[in-house]
Amino acid sequence: MPIYAPTLPPAPDLSHGQPPALVLARFDMTRLWRQKIGRFFGFTFLFLLLWKVARIYVDHLLQTNQTFKPMQDFAKTILTQGADFQADLLNPASYLLWFLVALVGGGLVARDTLYRVRPLMYAHPVAPRDYLLAKLGFASALPFAILLPFALLPWLMSLILAGASGPVWVTAPLRLLPAMAVSSVLMGTLAAGASSMAATPRAGIGWVLGLVLGSATLASMIQGLTGFSAVQAINPILLAETWPQLFVGVAHPLMGWGPALLGTAFHLGLWTFVAAKRTMPSEAVI
Amino acid sequence: MIAFENLEVRYAAAAAPALKGLTLALDQGIVGLLGPNGAGKSTLLKALLGLLRPSAGGGTVLGVALGAPEAAKLRARIGYMPEYDALIEDASAYEQVAFWGELSGLAPESARDRAHEVLYFVGLDEARYRPVSGYSTGMRQRVKLAQALVHSPELVFLDEPTNGLDPDGRRRMLDLVLRVHAELGTGVILASHLLGDVERVADQLVILDQGQIKAAGSMAGLRRALARRVELRFLDPLDAAQEAALAELGAVLEARNGLYDLELAEADPTAAFRWAQGQGATLIQLTPRHDRLDEVLLRALHPQMGA
Repeated sequence: MPIYAPTLPPAPDLSHGQPPALVLARFDMTRLWRQKIGRFFGFTFLFLLLWKVARIYVDHLLQTNQTFKPMQDFAKTILTQGADFQADLLNPASYLLWFLVALVGGGLVARDTLYRVRPLMYAHPVAPRDYLLAKLGFASALPFAILLPFALLPWLMSLILAGASGPVWVTAPLRLLPAMAVSSVLMGTLAAGASSMAATPRAGIGWVLGLVLGSATLASMIQGLTGFSAVQAINPILLAETWPQLFVGVAHPLMGWGPALLGTAFHLGLWTFVAAKRTMPSEAVI
Repeated sequence: MIAFENLEVRYAAAAAPALKGLTLALDQGIVGLLGPNGAGKSTLLKALLGLLRPSAGGGTVLGVALGAPEAAKLRARIGYMPEYDALIEDASAYEQVAFWGELSGLAPESARDRAHEVLYFVGLDEARYRPVSGYSTGMRQRVKLAQALVHSPELVFLDEPTNGLDPDGRRRMLDLVLRVHAELGTGVILASHLLGDVERVADQLVILDQGQIKAAGSMAGLRRALARRVELRFLDPLDAAQEAALAELGAVLEARNGLYDLELAEADPTAAFRWAQGQGATLIQLTPRHDRLDEVLLRALHPQMGA
């Protein structure tokens, strides 16, 4: 037998709340926190980060101790140097990060579809654009937040150990942060768009992986048939990897600024449009 | 509280309008929105929430015009309990009610405090920390009611709140609906196809069918009208002239085997005796007909059925 309260006091003032998009994104964050995938990816990305930072330290030892001179010469032959090294700091922006984005982003919109809570959200002071902004924002902020320590910690370590002559350029964050932002928004937009087409979170994961790998396969097939390398601009994996290289000045063998800009704009436009259409109330008038 | 005139709502894909020519004014209280499945009850609630723009006509809810740009702000003053199972299955009742509170404009800390209060109010005490996926139907309905009340709305729309509940759960839910109005002063629009629910809690009634209002008015007025229904029996059969004169008393709904069902024109039933005396007939029986609401509903929906 439930115990009922004597009565309900009036609610506090409604004017001190946060913007709806922020409330929605925060709720998605707490959902992610509850899921177990965070532990696996947390450990894996931490290991990769430690590897990057350790490499800076080892590089510093090789530079400062003449005993290791032969080793340093050998290391130069197998490890990336200069501009390539700067771009390589963000190399988790490859399959592992895409996999995380698919696992988390695939369920972002699909979970609300499955639980049928989106119409109830729109019955609150939430507009479809708030919802879209929250989902795109969260899906993009997640890879950005993961990449951030990869750009900043090795740079900080290099500055502390070797100052301006360290392996990481002093200006590296100025080049890497915009590249990370573009790659993250690309990943987040594609994930949110794919998730909006799915009816369940698992189907959403399938949609993200299918679209990413399908685009990559399609691009490779067209390039193989026509020999036209710029078509790789529809490959989102390659696009996400290319942006850091373009920003640090590495000449990419397949894609220049033009195709990269066009390909990124195509994906952002297409998946934002899909997500917007699919998350509108069916009888949308608001 | 709510007023609309010639309100018409049309879905883009549908040929016929879902609501057509609705004109009505509703006062603060508990309004029962009654009608069979597909009558347009949920559509009307969506239109009143500002989710559907009228294709013709218009109206106001809490002083805000339907379809106006400020409808989003209006939704902070309204609570909505949907008919469908709109619960976040992987969250506890407490987490999701706090979330809905924040979406309505409460600050995070206030929303958390308020979630405890409102879940206690609806009778979910310790269970509020468990994921709702393990809740019974009654508990799920109460979570939906709690999310509609978390921000102290001036008006709540309850769409089939007793769906799937057993008789005891139904009684508890209706008690809560009565408390929402009596203790919180919140206006309630209760959409239901269950006559008993509406009869128990509503003080105003709107009967909808095929997107049109078939009957509307206060429950007290409706009951007064029902109280005028009487069955008359005379000692000798009435002749044709007397039968024709019966219309002076009120509307004759049915005549069979010397029994006449009438809806008296005035509330005083002794008028029937005076009429009989005037007509030289002997009235030997006057029985009040205790019509139930379902008869009113059936007459409203199927006028050809008569009495």
